[in-house]
Amino acid sequence: MFWFLINTLTETLDRVRRGRRPFRAESFFRYTTRAGVESVPLVAMVSFFLGLTMALLTGYQLERFGTERLIPGLVAIAFTRELGPLLTGIMLAARIGASFTAELGTMQVSEEVEAIEAMGIGPLRYLVAPRMLALFALMPCLSLVSSIAAIIASALVCRAYFNIAFVYFQDLVLHSLLIRDLITGVLKSFMFGLLIGAIACYRGLTVRGGAAGVGVSTTSSVVTAITSVIGFDTLYNIVYVVFFP
Amino acid sequence: MNERPNHVVELREVQLDFPGKRVLDGVSLKVGPLDRLVIMGQSGSGKSTILRMVLGIIRPTAGEIFFKQFEISRLKRRKLQQVRAQIGMVYQYSALLSSRNVRDNVALPLEELTTKSRAEVDQLVDEKLELVGMLDAKNQLPSELSGGMRKRVSLARALVMNPELILFDEPSAGLDPVISSVIDELIISLTERSKVTSIIVTHEMDSAFRIGTRMAMLYQGKIIADASPNEFKKSRHPVVQQFLTGSTEGPILEGSKDAVATK
Repeated sequence: MFWFLINTLTETLDRVRRGRRPFRAESFFRYTTRAGVESVPLVAMVSFFLGLTMALLTGYQLERFGTERLIPGLVAIAFTRELGPLLTGIMLAARIGASFTAELGTMQVSEEVEAIEAMGIGPLRYLVAPRMLALFALMPCLSLVSSIAAIIASALVCRAYFNIAFVYFQDLVLHSLLIRDLITGVLKSFMFGLLIGAIACYRGLTVRGGAAGVGVSTTSSVVTAITSVIGFDTLYNIVYVVFFP
Repeated sequence: MNERPNHVVELREVQLDFPGKRVLDGVSLKVGPLDRLVIMGQSGSGKSTILRMVLGIIRPTAGEIFFKQFEISRLKRRKLQQVRAQIGMVYQYSALLSSRNVRDNVALPLEELTTKSRAEVDQLVDEKLELVGMLDAKNQLPSELSGGMRKRVSLARALVMNPELILFDEPSAGLDPVISSVIDELIISLTERSKVTSIIVTHEMDSAFRIGTRMAMLYQGKIIADASPNEFKKSRHPVVQQFLTGSTEGPILEGSKDAVATK
């Protein structure tokens, strides 16, 4: 996996050094559309429902202490810093990671990858680099979509059940958000994108054993990517809390 | 190596081991310019492996493989990729990219390896598709084509970079006899017209004798015969004889599981 990443990077940089574009813009945008734009409805919907649930559940608890005005800040911080990137990572690992692994795996078993290699085209640069870059670039945008959807949902709950007007809600959110939290969320998202892309492509290109192999690798890709995203997130949080309290 | 070699491909004492099995055991072959070398042998004897080794996809355990002056078996990845652009390969099952249409499949090497404009690429693609008689199917996906048509597109893709060497892996496999002959004739006319050297791997006799200017027989990891088609037919080697006649009696099936099945 480590060498896979290094080889992808050197193969791509090699091409850049020779003064050529590493891959066609249209190929990159095809993946950004597939991984990014087409994921917006799923990410927005799931985050909206989670934001709704979170605001409701915490709201009823906080109401007992008369502190329901903490709901906006709670949801905003939780999503921008933690849940937005994490949920998006899990959703993309399932939605896009699986699709990349299955696609590359099928190409691998039907000799398409070997044919690309035989033509003298670096398969890592041609197949892996645009996919990884698309996930890397789009992940923070989707995390943002997730956070916005959750905040909108909690605004609706606050308005409907806890008598917090939208203007007041906005004030509370802006007051509680810290640039530091936003940056943390964005950094994490970039790393999750890279992680999911690398795992999905690696599993796809190392498929062995025909159609069944594609199935096994796809499952393994999703499981590994979700576990890695959660594991990496935990590690990131530990480092963050210990070194930047 | 500064002297100009008089071969296009040369294998010197190539040995290849897979876990628990020696696939190639000292294979030596020379392919001269404009030769059409047919390598024959049983299924699973390592014929296709030789093609993959010439492309540098599989590295030999021992021995050397040359394409012109380049020692394929020792080249670094970057150089290997440049050398591969001079070799075309037609796979047994065509290996066309299933999500790209015929035009895009043939255009792929040009788009990725050259700096030609879209108009130049289109012109070259049309030219090659015309040669193989597939211009009308330009916008179709590989899944919409028959096996023979796919093979033609694959041939156009192999020709599009004007390679010096084309490798064919079982060109007539899975095709009916008529289409198979058409593909064979296409291979002959295109390799002659484009002045390309070729190595063809097959186990189909008719096809082999139609295409080949030289024949080699691979048996138990070794080349047991390497001659012109006429001399090859006259060979007294029992394995070659059995292969030519397709008889079940002879050294080929001795001790193999297939022999048990026949008896």
